Amino acid sequence: MVENTDQTTQNEQERRETRERLRLLFQSLNNSGNNGNRSNDSMLLQLLSELIPEDLQNEWFDSLADKNDKGCKETFVSSLPRVSINDILKQEIIRNPEIKAAHLNCSICYCKYTDDDYPLIAQLPHCGHHFDFECISIWLSKNETCPICRDNLTSHKEVIDTSNVELEEDWGMYG
Amino acid sequence: MASLPKRIIKETERLVSDPVPGITAEPHDDNLRYFSVTIEGPEGSPYEHGIFDLELFLPDDYPMESPKVRFLTKIYHPNIDRLGRICLDVLKTNWSPALQIRTVLLSIQALLASPNPNDPLANDVAEDWIKNETGAIATAKEWTQKYAQAKE
Repeated sequence: MVENTDQTTQNEQERRETRERLRLLFQSLNNSGNNGNRSNDSMLLQLLSELIPEDLQNEWFDSLADKNDKGCKETFVSSLPRVSINDILKQEIIRNPEIKAAHLNCSICYCKYTDDDYPLIAQLPHCGHHFDFECISIWLSKNETCPICRDNLTSHKEVIDTSNVELEEDWGMYG
Repeated sequence: MASLPKRIIKETERLVSDPVPGITAEPHDDNLRYFSVTIEGPEGSPYEHGIFDLELFLPDDYPMESPKVRFLTKIYHPNIDRLGRICLDVLKTNWSPALQIRTVLLSIQALLASPNPNDPLANDVAEDWIKNETGAIATAKEWTQKYAQAKE
């Protein structure tokens, strides 16, 4: 009885490993196909594509896309302005004169800022929405938008970047 | 059990104390991340008078990841396939942690009120819907009668 269970877990383990190897092979072949493929690779890829269910292929594609394209840079996230409860209170009180510090909470974890002895609150540039620094960091590591208004944070970043480049060129001309 | 985030507890409390009209959502006793959901078919839609069962699961990464929702009741709808999977932007690419169980269920209710055959999940249903809307709506009504009636 006990041996049987061991056998099953071992089989499951092996299946998982095989699946993982297949996934890596499939994803790497797909990637190499994008930039100058060798005929060997494309044949193997075709073979694999026939073996692997379409659902699973799509899922693997998606996970690949998730890893490569999305998310803000860590430096950007750690440079987000940090604000105090009082800063936020001053801004919110314009919209709602009744508001108290005890009402302010993070829209991601729903925890009140005041429940934390040393709250670390981040405010997003442009839209001004605020969250626990920890919560928004996790979200922005895989996404680029404000959870509340979907403002794309990277779109602003690029604008700033190009203006910096132009400035430097001007310096070169006059320098 | 002890590691259930505060957010999930708060959402659950509010779903019970201040329910959305036409929607119920109750967590299972043995797994507080798993909810049994019912949605009433919206008035004026082919799903009117139907009560649809759904299951909703909050993955470990919730709210960084969307809830997983699926229809258990058979339904004839261009954006819901025969496995009950739902094609809805907020469940996929447009998920945001500022959304919640409540808003997701409201979106699903709205999807029942306005089927969108141009962004189909169930291809054959969507085709039928575009080619012969009257017929498709009649089928949807028929399925609602047949499968989506309140259990005694």
